[in-house]
Amino acid sequence: MAETFTFGEMLSARSVIGSTLAELGEQYDNLWVLTPDIGATLVEFRDKYPERFLDVGLAEQVCVGIASGLAYDGNIPVVSGMLPFLSMRALEQIRTDVCYPNLPVKIIGTHGGLVGNGGSTHYAVEDLALMCALTNMTVTSIGDPLMVGEILRQSMTMAGPIYIRLAVGKSDKVLYEPGQHEIRIGKGIVAREGTDATIFTHGTVVAQALQAAEDLAQEGHSVRVVDMFTLKPIDEELIVRCAAETGGRFVVVEDHLAYGGLASRLADVMADRGVHLTAFERLGIPQVYAGFGEDEELRDKYGYGLAATIAATRRVMAAQP
Amino acid sequence: MGQSTLQVDENRHTVEELEDLAFELRSKLLQLCGTYEGAVHIGGDLSVADILTVLYHYGMNVDPTDIANPARDRFVLSKGHAAVCMYIAMAMRGFFSYEGIVETYGQLDSAYGMHPCKVQLPGVECSTGSLGHGLPIAVGMALSARGRGESHRVFCVLGDGETGEGSVWEAAMAARSNELGNLVAFVDRNRQLMTSFDEERVVFEPYPDKWAAFGWNVVLADGHDMGQLVAAIDALPAADSNRPTVVICETIKGKGVDFMERNLAWHAGRLGAADLERALTALNSTRKKETV
Repeated sequence: MAETFTFGEMLSARSVIGSTLAELGEQYDNLWVLTPDIGATLVEFRDKYPERFLDVGLAEQVCVGIASGLAYDGNIPVVSGMLPFLSMRALEQIRTDVCYPNLPVKIIGTHGGLVGNGGSTHYAVEDLALMCALTNMTVTSIGDPLMVGEILRQSMTMAGPIYIRLAVGKSDKVLYEPGQHEIRIGKGIVAREGTDATIFTHGTVVAQALQAAEDLAQEGHSVRVVDMFTLKPIDEELIVRCAAETGGRFVVVEDHLAYGGLASRLADVMADRGVHLTAFERLGIPQVYAGFGEDEELRDKYGYGLAATIAATRRVMAAQP
Repeated sequence: MGQSTLQVDENRHTVEELEDLAFELRSKLLQLCGTYEGAVHIGGDLSVADILTVLYHYGMNVDPTDIANPARDRFVLSKGHAAVCMYIAMAMRGFFSYEGIVETYGQLDSAYGMHPCKVQLPGVECSTGSLGHGLPIAVGMALSARGRGESHRVFCVLGDGETGEGSVWEAAMAARSNELGNLVAFVDRNRQLMTSFDEERVVFEPYPDKWAAFGWNVVLADGHDMGQLVAAIDALPAADSNRPTVVICETIKGKGVDFMERNLAWHAGRLGAADLERALTALNSTRKKETV
């Protein structure tokens, strides 16, 4: 892979998946890549390792079932597709054929959240709730395109399954300079330091949270942003630390149902650990099947866009203890 | 990869010996069903007993002393509710102890439960139980063998009822598309679902045509005629051929016990001491008829 990157540059997460898998295919001769007809970005792997590439056509259930059979036989299968279909059409295969025997199958895909303007058939908005419910599953949601490659690399040595969620993955902002943060599955990233409040976020809206913190900094506020890209297992210590260090003032912003995703994971940790907050706001998709529109328009419409994030952060900062 | 071949058993069983083994398997099934407190899927166990006997004692190249040998044939019990029939067939082949199965079946922390679990019982190839999941897994195993240039086969036993699941046909299509001649499915065509008879509620026929239309090599057999089952195995295309094979075995749910045969009440159940005697007597009488 001979690409170079600059902070803030736009990059395609899909092309990172393609090039990373091609690179890993050389290192791991038992790495397989499978897809239900969503293989455009996998051509590099397909051309290099045609004997370990399988496009089953439109058949998510058998795609995951085959991945299970491959993994039972000692292989490392990566299933790549669109998450609204993989996470629901093949949910039982993921649960029973992958998670139950704890096999090292990686599920990676796009269209997590209200992205891509396909309408509600094509938005995965409940996928993180579903995946977090599965015993043995590690659940991630990635915003920075370069991180995708790093997470895939780390996942190669995992004994069990992992779910890797992306947005559209065609043109994403590079958030972190390579080496700027330690990227470790299960550890949240403090993407921006701050002491007045913490915004917890993941995936495609990390960039928006960073922008909100930057805008608030212009008014003299110090807002921390945590990229909680691993929803399961969740980084409990970081949550507890942020509560102590940012006045117990939390905002959660995510491109997922507001109930069942990261906000719910956080709420569980706080209840279990007896963490008392000063203020807590969750921004995400309400109980609607969203219609059409560009990503940013939909976020604004449903109350988790940039303006809503800034407003919610102001409210938690103003809350009386 | 370890040893790449298995010792082929030169003394393969004769049809008569296989019939004896199937009879013993049925007797042991009934004994378990008569002692276990809970329900056993005895109807589908009895319909698949000859198929599992011919696979474990004749058709499959497996070694109970070397369960991870890469050259072994793989086995997927897609109709996972026949687990106890598989456990006992495997015990008779030397994988497990029959006493261990009978003494602990279905109890807390037992490795032997209603549906096979690979984590609790590493001797089985995979965890099944949710119907329609086995054939996709078997396709993955067959692809894996192809990818490594290995020449073993993957066998998968399905119930006919579960072929109502769409995932079975996704797998049928994938197996043909990838030319998996190393994949062999046996369908236990007992023509019963849990609560109804096949053609009354769900029309499966023309059943062999459906598999043929998916490009499979279709073989028909009487699933209780050991000679026909042996012949089907002897005639399997080479593992490096390019079409998957399905052996559609006509069977009778509850086979061997007259009051269970084709009886919807015996999809699953338990036998008390008196019914166990009745069942064993019925089974013995079929044996006598056959040997006369």
